[in-house]
Amino acid sequence: MERLSRWNTSISYFVQIGLAAIVLAPLLFVFVSSFRPLEDIFRYVSPVTLNTFIPTSFTLEAYTNLFALRGFGKYFFNSFYVSAMSVLFGLSVNALAAFAFAYFAFRFKTLLFISVILTFLIPFEVIAIPLYIVVDRLHWINTYWGLIVPAVANGLVIFLYRQFFLEIPTSLIEAARIDGARWTRIFYGIVMPLCKPVTVSASLLIFIFQWESFLWPLIVARTEAYKVIQIGIASFVTEWVTVWNEMFAASILSVLIPALILLALQRYLVQGVTGSGLKE
Amino acid sequence: MRTGKLAKSGRGSWRASSIPFLFLFPAFIGLFVFKFVPIVVSFTESMYRASFRIGGKQFVGFGNYADLFADPVFWNSMRVTLLLNAILNPLQIVLAFLLALMLNLKLKKIGLFRAIHIIPISVSAPIAVIMWSVMLNQEQGIVNSLLTWIGLEAQPFYASAGQALWVIVLIACWKGVGYLCIFLLAGLQEVPETLYESSSIDGANKWIQLTRITLPMMKRPLIFVTVTATAANFLLFAPVYLLTQGGPQGSTNTLMNESYFSAFVYADMGRASSIVVVLLAVTLCIIAVQFRFLRAEH
Repeated sequence: MERLSRWNTSISYFVQIGLAAIVLAPLLFVFVSSFRPLEDIFRYVSPVTLNTFIPTSFTLEAYTNLFALRGFGKYFFNSFYVSAMSVLFGLSVNALAAFAFAYFAFRFKTLLFISVILTFLIPFEVIAIPLYIVVDRLHWINTYWGLIVPAVANGLVIFLYRQFFLEIPTSLIEAARIDGARWTRIFYGIVMPLCKPVTVSASLLIFIFQWESFLWPLIVARTEAYKVIQIGIASFVTEWVTVWNEMFAASILSVLIPALILLALQRYLVQGVTGSGLKE
Repeated sequence: MRTGKLAKSGRGSWRASSIPFLFLFPAFIGLFVFKFVPIVVSFTESMYRASFRIGGKQFVGFGNYADLFADPVFWNSMRVTLLLNAILNPLQIVLAFLLALMLNLKLKKIGLFRAIHIIPISVSAPIAVIMWSVMLNQEQGIVNSLLTWIGLEAQPFYASAGQALWVIVLIACWKGVGYLCIFLLAGLQEVPETLYESSSIDGANKWIQLTRITLPMMKRPLIFVTVTATAANFLLFAPVYLLTQGGPQGSTNTLMNESYFSAFVYADMGRASSIVVVLLAVTLCIIAVQFRFLRAEH
């Protein structure tokens, strides 16, 4: 961090505000529009007046319709459930694997680790179709299993945990081993409690990834019962009319939840990444 | 369960024969079944072509690839993909770096600005596309309203073959720069202040500090960010699929998009898989080159 002269400070603020405005512009537009009745959504776009930015008639009907008419409560529940379960399983499974990489020597270790790295470079869309075939064979299409399990094993999370584990002084582990502690005890009792920043970052990563997924839930969920928010949003585009205000309301809500969680825990984000130092 | 020797030489080398594999097992089952197997399936699928005679599919070896390389649509997609990445990758990395520098300044309320730039991470692809497509809509978009208000001409944006790719770049940057910036900001904060202070005393100006201190110390985060961004962008799919579907006139028809159309619209799984294989090969080559280039100065 550096100190700036008074002049530089003003310029910096100016630039920061400008950047922030660009980032927030679409969100603000959608936020404001979600409080308009449907007919008004595009009525005041042009010419540019005060009404372009401030609703003339303010209404909550978009939001109430979401839950009363469109059954969005179910979609929200599904998104929450799938994301939370993914975090739960994801943390345990990946941290265990990272523990093995960090503290043990075994055959094929380097090869296995490289393959872990390769997995997180391949985004989901590339394997979506063959993955469908696999999940179908397991009879997990249109089930919570199908939504949750494929996302549990996560190379990036393994990587982050391993980096963090490597920073923990071995003396702690040695002492515990000398005392006769079993490895599982060392894992749960000593190592994991020290890893709060990484655990928070990894949880955020997994949660947000699942919350934002749209392609996989699109492929897997066949009935209303298993649809998540991102799919629900598509349902506002019908043959006759696009119910813009409700679509905007749904968008705001589905951004708000991960945004609030992310903002509340943001200092762990940088810590969880820094602690790993991204050393290889 | 035998435990091996307690003695070890340095970290990472306890030997306890079955424990590590036990710990690795659940994750590797997951990675194997849900990541490796689909990739292998992609490879094998690319060797087959649907055959209406047999009513199934027949093995054609590299036939799909031969057809691909003779297809002008494929080459257009290759061109679009390379063009998109040539613009998007450096742009994202440079913007993320500049943003990280800006967010590292000692300003009051810098925390607020950092928070703001993190928000797009919470926005999913469909929502990002909805928001921007509404704002950039040719007739009803607020951006065009503002442009005409200040006297400029309304632009077609994603309705035009000339501008559509840039809209994709915009959306990808809007969503991606904040995420990449986190890693770079973390890296910046690890650079000890004392280095800057002592170099100031020695008379170094900001530029020298940037190139001689900051950049070298940021090498690892920069490599990480470069590789992550490259992989994500070469394999980018969501904004194209949701906004333009490859149009107008194929101007945004990336290889991933063409692959999806092959699979779902033309029902040609063989072609779709072979495009993916080619795409992965190209991406891996580029990443290998980046690695070689960026690590060379060690």
